Amino acid sequence: MNVRRFIVWAMVIIGFGLQAVAYLALAAPLGKPTDVSFSEPRVPFAPLLFILGVGIVFSAAIVYELLPDRPEDRTASEP
Amino acid sequence: MATTARTLPAERGRGGRTWYPVVALLLILLGVGIYAYLEELSEGMAVTGLRNLGPQGGATWGLYITFVIYFVGLSFAGISTAALIRLAKIDKLRPIVRMAELLTVICLMLAAMTIVADLGQPLRGIVNLFRYARPQSPFFGTFTLVISGYLFASLVYLYLDGRRDAAVRAAEGAPYRGFLRAWAAGYSDTEPERVRHRRASFWLSIAIVPLLVTAHSTLGFVFGLQVGRPGWYSALQAPAFVMLAGVSGLGMLIILAAIARRSLHLQARLGLPMFRTLGIFMFVSLLVYLYFVGVELLTNLYTGSVRERDVLRELLGGDYAWLYWSAIAGFVIAAALLVAWLAVQQLRTHIWPLVVAGVLVNLGAMAKRFLIVVPSQTEGQLLPYADGSYAPSWTEYAVIGGLLALGVLLFLGFAKVFPIIPLPEEGDDGKVVT
Repeated sequence: MNVRRFIVWAMVIIGFGLQAVAYLALAAPLGKPTDVSFSEPRVPFAPLLFILGVGIVFSAAIVYELLPDRPEDRTASEP
Repeated sequence: MATTARTLPAERGRGGRTWYPVVALLLILLGVGIYAYLEELSEGMAVTGLRNLGPQGGATWGLYITFVIYFVGLSFAGISTAALIRLAKIDKLRPIVRMAELLTVICLMLAAMTIVADLGQPLRGIVNLFRYARPQSPFFGTFTLVISGYLFASLVYLYLDGRRDAAVRAAEGAPYRGFLRAWAAGYSDTEPERVRHRRASFWLSIAIVPLLVTAHSTLGFVFGLQVGRPGWYSALQAPAFVMLAGVSGLGMLIILAAIARRSLHLQARLGLPMFRTLGIFMFVSLLVYLYFVGVELLTNLYTGSVRERDVLRELLGGDYAWLYWSAIAGFVIAAALLVAWLAVQQLRTHIWPLVVAGVLVNLGAMAKRFLIVVPSQTEGQLLPYADGSYAPSWTEYAVIGGLLALGVLLFLGFAKVFPIIPLPEEGDDGKVVT
């Protein structure tokens, strides 16, 4: 796996992971509210972390396209 | 990148005789909108027609929320068309892919601004949403996914898709070269770059489709899950939201493509087959939406609760009847026009029936969004309050007018500095050699 793919996959996994953790573990608990703790996120700004996760996943596409080629790749692609 | 031999124009908007007066008019509208919003900010929501439900007999959601849904709906069709063009390889629609992406980005920005206008204390609302939103709430899905994730994803899509054209235009010495070079970010149109772009676009399209369906469905759920609000609580709310979004967005794309075709003299690239494909998509979506409307109407008439039927009675024969029947008439006339356009040989060589249908479905969509939002608040009381009423104030009209003007200005501004139609690639009819 080259560096480009490694970074992109890392970003996708981190992004989806952050979404899952923010949604399931950091935001207000899921389920039928039984007390006031269900109204508060367990970590403040958990929804923002979820959005950050979405952002990281889609930013992976920019990294994938914009990361410069290694010199040997560039030489190989020249006509 | 080698020099470019082009037989087509650069498709960059050129300022004609009408461009500057149109921009001046839009700037005036925007100025009035900003003034109205500043008045709302200083005087509070009292300057709007919005009032509390129940004792005050009003509606807390009105014209602003109507247009939030309308704008988000337009964005849906934009990005789904762009994604489908890539995934299903619908080459006929490729010339409008950038317009579709731009429509999405602009509409999502307008939707976000409209929400801000609807908040009495915008900063408090924005901060608290990011701080406290609960995952169970449809608001979480709607506002975090739609306004943040979806807008970001659409911007990434638009940016990556435009890199090649930015590089080509910068190499040609086009105006705004610095901006174009920054956009191109070193793109040199090598084979590995093209392969990477195709691959990234494919995966972006795959990732965007579930995101947008979730986002739009949750917007429908904001209404559809409210069991205590007659007229909103319905399993059809989410799919009907998505269908009407598709209809209005496709209609808007047809209008934009027709304007670009005429003003930029792009009869060759924006040809009849492309309009035909768009027209068929819009026709099918419209039929499905009308089917949903009929099903919902019959279900509520036969088995709805008393309060459900009260809301429906207001829609069919009460204060909102003129708007309801106008919207339905708009949809039916649009469908009839599309049938005539498909069936009559002489009509098929014209674009105007499609444009008229596009305008009608968009006006109908605005009316239907208003009818989804307002009557259930003014007439759908489960507690023993008298029926209420809602009429938007001039402030709300001015703010919405300003936002619409801003949207058109952004579109025109973009078209002025960047090719609104993707430049042809090697092998296309446009014969671009790079």
